[in-house]
Amino acid sequence: MLMTTVIRTEKLVKRFGHVTALDELDLSVDEGQTHGFLGPNGAGKSTTIRVLLGMLRADGGTARLFGADPWNDAAELHRRLAYVPGDVALWPGLTGGETIDVLGRLRGGIDRRKRDELLERFDLDPRKKGRSYSKGNRQKVALVAAFAADVDLLLLDEPTSGLDPLMAAVFNECVREAAARGTTVLLSSHVMSEVEQLCERVSIIRKGAIVESGTLAEMRHFTRSQVHAVLKKPARGLDDHEGVHDYAAEGLEVRFQVDGTALDDVLAQLAVAGIASLTCEPPSLEQMFLRYYGDELAAKGVDNGDGRRS
Amino acid sequence: MSAPSSTLREGALGTLAGTGKLLRFQARRTRVYLTGWIVGLVGFNGVIALSFPDLYPAPEDRAQLALSSNTPAMRSMTGPVEYLDAYTDSAAVVFAHQMILWVGAVVAVMFIMLVTRLTRSDEETSRLEVIRSNPVGRRADLAAALLLACFAAVALGALMALSVIGLDGFDAGDAALYGLLYTAIGIVFAAITAVAAQFAGYASTSNGLGFAALGFAVLTAAVGNAQDDWTVWLSPIGWGQLTFVGTPDQRWWPLAAAALIAVAAIALAFALVARRDFGQGLMPANPGRAEAKPGLRSVGALTFRLVRGTLWSALITMVLLGAAYGSVLGSVDDMLSGMSDLERSILAESGGSLEENFAITIAKMNAFVATVFGLLVIGRARTEETGGRGELLAAAPVSRSAWPGSYLPAALFAAAAGALAGGVSLGAIGSASVGDGAFFGKLLGAAAAQIPAVWVMTALAFALFAWLPRAGWLRWLPWVYAFVAGLFGDLLDLPGAARNASPYEHTPQYPAHDMEWLPLIALLAVAAAITAIGYIGVKRRNLQFG
Repeated sequence: MLMTTVIRTEKLVKRFGHVTALDELDLSVDEGQTHGFLGPNGAGKSTTIRVLLGMLRADGGTARLFGADPWNDAAELHRRLAYVPGDVALWPGLTGGETIDVLGRLRGGIDRRKRDELLERFDLDPRKKGRSYSKGNRQKVALVAAFAADVDLLLLDEPTSGLDPLMAAVFNECVREAAARGTTVLLSSHVMSEVEQLCERVSIIRKGAIVESGTLAEMRHFTRSQVHAVLKKPARGLDDHEGVHDYAAEGLEVRFQVDGTALDDVLAQLAVAGIASLTCEPPSLEQMFLRYYGDELAAKGVDNGDGRRS
Repeated sequence: MSAPSSTLREGALGTLAGTGKLLRFQARRTRVYLTGWIVGLVGFNGVIALSFPDLYPAPEDRAQLALSSNTPAMRSMTGPVEYLDAYTDSAAVVFAHQMILWVGAVVAVMFIMLVTRLTRSDEETSRLEVIRSNPVGRRADLAAALLLACFAAVALGALMALSVIGLDGFDAGDAALYGLLYTAIGIVFAAITAVAAQFAGYASTSNGLGFAALGFAVLTAAVGNAQDDWTVWLSPIGWGQLTFVGTPDQRWWPLAAAALIAVAAIALAFALVARRDFGQGLMPANPGRAEAKPGLRSVGALTFRLVRGTLWSALITMVLLGAAYGSVLGSVDDMLSGMSDLERSILAESGGSLEENFAITIAKMNAFVATVFGLLVIGRARTEETGGRGELLAAAPVSRSAWPGSYLPAALFAAAAGALAGGVSLGAIGSASVGDGAFFGKLLGAAAAQIPAVWVMTALAFALFAWLPRAGWLRWLPWVYAFVAGLFGDLLDLPGAARNASPYEHTPQYPAHDMEWLPLIALLAVAAAITAIGYIGVKRRNLQFG
């Protein structure tokens, strides 16, 4: 199967005055992929998406959407994508139903059946005026409009930030269905569980640059797992092993963290000592994510994901 | 167990708790708005006051002016007859007579918008929600808004008084009364808007109700002064005029009516504010359509739908304005010598009749006001952008020339429709007032001949929106300049080149002269060029959402 790249940015730079919002950002999303885009507020997620939508002009580097320039070919490219902004603002005088219809008609028509089914699923009253919707309901309007569109790419910027857990589950289901049809999805989020459930690949953005990108399995490989073992006799040399961190032994019970790359070697050593019981937990995405923000967290007096202050 | 529950009550101030803190906060937030309006109003008033004594230096001039101005039509545009009787006393009387109605109306606009901004607008954007969730009483935001409005009104009145203190014929007491009447007008309209804000479903309705009250005030003052009867007592601006400031009949007590109405309206607003839900007006909002109408299928259609309210207010305002000016036209003969140098100079060099020459002035006024609606629509484009609503459209398969570009055709349409509606109304009422049916076409033609200039100004605002989007005041600056240059160019002794910068100076002198097509084509070409520059701008710039 030939994989084409739907989103590719190379050394993308965007400045606002003297603030550098994107600092040589490299992001790549393949066709059919559901790609998690992780980062805290202000890291540059929305700016990246707005450059990809041709709303902001890049100050350096390149951005490509379906192989074309998102700034010059914006209107044409937008036929193939749907977007849900992080903070949905609606026209106060238009109802939700009118807004969904207008947005659908701008791309050439809306599938009635799909629209009504989505309204049902998201439990949205289309007769209310834009000004009287809550944040969650405004978001639902944009989600219904986006999922009702027949597109190749969904750009979702923190789409569940105002949704209750029930609606977040409906949202997850809609993303899975879209992915099953082959739609490419870029899901910007800071809800780790959502990304973990939905995304094959993840890119972590920090201060306008991608600090880590890969499948969850790959990323786990390069990060540390938590090991808890009860041994039959004391193990030697483990605390000095370069792949072992935060080693703590209490009699025959040992706890430590181990680099993904050193896992086989360390487990072999444990086996030499004899294993009475063993749990080895891969890091959660949240822990991996927090590792990249360890210094910021430490500066704020918070432990990072490793249980350490780095 | 009274102790624990008392901590949940609203404290000694009750529903007003936190008013002081809110007042400081609101004062900080509106300092630019307040400074701009007050400086503008006082500056304008001061400049006119300075130039007034030179305009009519001799008592004989003023006696002549009083004679010619004493017609119903002229009084409707100035003020009560009592001032005319005292014209010979001093230039200050002439000044007060001619200024109070119009400056008072602008003062009212300032306070209507101020109070709406501090109450309903903040509720809509949920800024106020954050404030209300603090230990702040239910009525505190309204109290803070009204207190701030009162302080602003007092400051405005004091500065207005200072700006006329040197005027020949005004002693300190006269100047103080002249300032005070604006304070009264400001407070009355702040209070009326505070009531409107409780009924209105949202901020634009609140402003609309406030402006309706202002329209009523101007209309009743005009009618009352024209007929020299009690109608003027219905008008809050009329109360200011009825002080007869500067004349021997000068009196303070008509302003008591303003105080009375203000107190009543404020009490009503305070009673109502606790009776309605946060973010909802007392007028119920109806459920809307579940599906969009079939016609709503392009960005252009959506833009026109979104500016529908502005369009209607343009048509209504212009029809009313045209009718007001049209009704004056019949008595233009009487008022001719009372008009400014501008009219006289036009007359001197033209062969047209008095009415025809006056029609040009009216058509220009019609055009100035119609332009405002074009600029308002352009302003909407910016609001859509910064409010973030445009983000959904910019992400749709829509070019920049459609969004935000479609706001320019909408603005051109609103301004031209306004100018034509004014022209039709002016023509209908004006031809009736002159008693000559041929005047309908002449007046409509005069109004239509201004449209290219209106379009130049609207296109200019769009180009500024495209290239310098953050500077909202800049979009209004050319209009303010053209307005001042056109109406007060003589008073300010502006050089010809400075006046010619205004496109309104280049429209044909129809119906006094034949219709000239070349200037119209030239103005249209200028508008087209500015439009092109504007569209290049919107394609090139970043969109600034929320």
